[in-house]
Amino acid sequence: MSVTIHVPGVLRQYCDDALEFSLPASSLRDALGQIERRYPALYRCVCHETGAVRRHVNLFVNESDMRTLDDLDTALQPGDVVMVLPAVSGG
Amino acid sequence: MPDRVILAIGTKKGLFVAEAAKSRRGFALRGPFGSGVAVYSTLIDTRSTPRLYASSCNAFFGMKVLVSTDLGKKFKETKSAPEFPKDDGRALANIWSLEPGGGKKDLLCGVEPAALFRSGDGGDSWEMVPGISNHEHARKWNPGNGGLCMHTIVRDGHRVHLGISTGGHYLSEDGGQTFRASNNGVGAGFAPDPYPEFGQCVHKIAGHKDAPGRLYMQNHGGWADWTGPGGPRPDIGVLRSDDHGQTWRSIAKGLPSDFGFPIVVHPHDADTVYVLPLEPMTRTCPGGAPAVWRSEDGGGSWKKLSHGLPRRESFFTVLRDAMDIDDLKSPALYFGTTTGQVWMGRDGGEEWSCLFDSLPPIHCVKVAVV
Repeated sequence: MSVTIHVPGVLRQYCDDALEFSLPASSLRDALGQIERRYPALYRCVCHETGAVRRHVNLFVNESDMRTLDDLDTALQPGDVVMVLPAVSGG
Repeated sequence: MPDRVILAIGTKKGLFVAEAAKSRRGFALRGPFGSGVAVYSTLIDTRSTPRLYASSCNAFFGMKVLVSTDLGKKFKETKSAPEFPKDDGRALANIWSLEPGGGKKDLLCGVEPAALFRSGDGGDSWEMVPGISNHEHARKWNPGNGGLCMHTIVRDGHRVHLGISTGGHYLSEDGGQTFRASNNGVGAGFAPDPYPEFGQCVHKIAGHKDAPGRLYMQNHGGWADWTGPGGPRPDIGVLRSDDHGQTWRSIAKGLPSDFGFPIVVHPHDADTVYVLPLEPMTRTCPGGAPAVWRSEDGGGSWKKLSHGLPRRESFFTVLRDAMDIDDLKSPALYFGTTTGQVWMGRDGGEEWSCLFDSLPPIHCVKVAVV
């Protein structure tokens, strides 16, 4: 009943160098809450202190950007893959 | 016996550290540290074994504080960075100032949106200082061009002076418990009231350990030609206080422009102060000819220091934390430009030479002899 969290290389230092890890979660919000407890430094890179996902970080559920789904209320199914991807921008 | 001169250079693309012997010949450069992330503030903490701190302001993943215990050969992140309480509603956007606090491992940190944080363990944990961060004015401050930043922290015994852009000068006389706006004589050019209670665009404040009541301020000048309500506001850009920041008066007469960002005091003489005037509209050196200006009488008169600097076609911008002075017997000034040059002015700025000419855009330069 778990989902997989895929972590980009630049953030793996904050989750014991794991490429990905699994956790049981029924929604994105639930998943982020568990990430906050398990890897608080990783969580802080993804969300700022108000709980919102940082502007230049995208969360994909399988192949869909959460912003095109139900945002943090997006439901997760067993086997889903949540990808954390930095939006490549700037100069 | 301190014998190494260390420069901490914060840039748009990370932190650089330069090191030289006391002769200051041949600075060796290390870096960049922080993998391409902007550094807006550095601190060389010499209270015990030297530590270098730097803010790493990652637009993607948030703010970090970097620390080095080997004079900047390697850095690691502290265990945490400042963050607002969850129910506060504000989110940290930048770290603008890092300064030593009262205790041996205490640090103070000014951030954007303007607020103050304190660490008692060398940056591993942080707490917000409510006296200023939740001040009744805090939600009324407005961002300047650089953001709503708390960029200056000056400690003087039980007094704490803060510079906020745009908020003005705030003073605590109880060790940082409570603060009040203290802007009597500090002008604003962008408000109908030329001398508001708060809301000034203070650029930098500097003091001197041997003259505790004396403060110098580089304020947002350049309003001599203003023709709107309230009339012209000449010379509001460079100011001095002799009563712990209770009142301020202009010392800008004699400068080519009262606009600028940094202001630096000579380490051995509280009457000697340095500014780097810029044209207010372009924020570059007047006429494309960079110069530091020095007063040796507390702002009564000014002398241009440009020997060795380019004489034309050099439109430097030097930001608020990008000029500093070492404390050797004959001190050298240093400044960094947004076009990536680091200049050193020996003998208190009498003779300038370029140390590095192609770094990324420079936000801050700090120096210490360790």
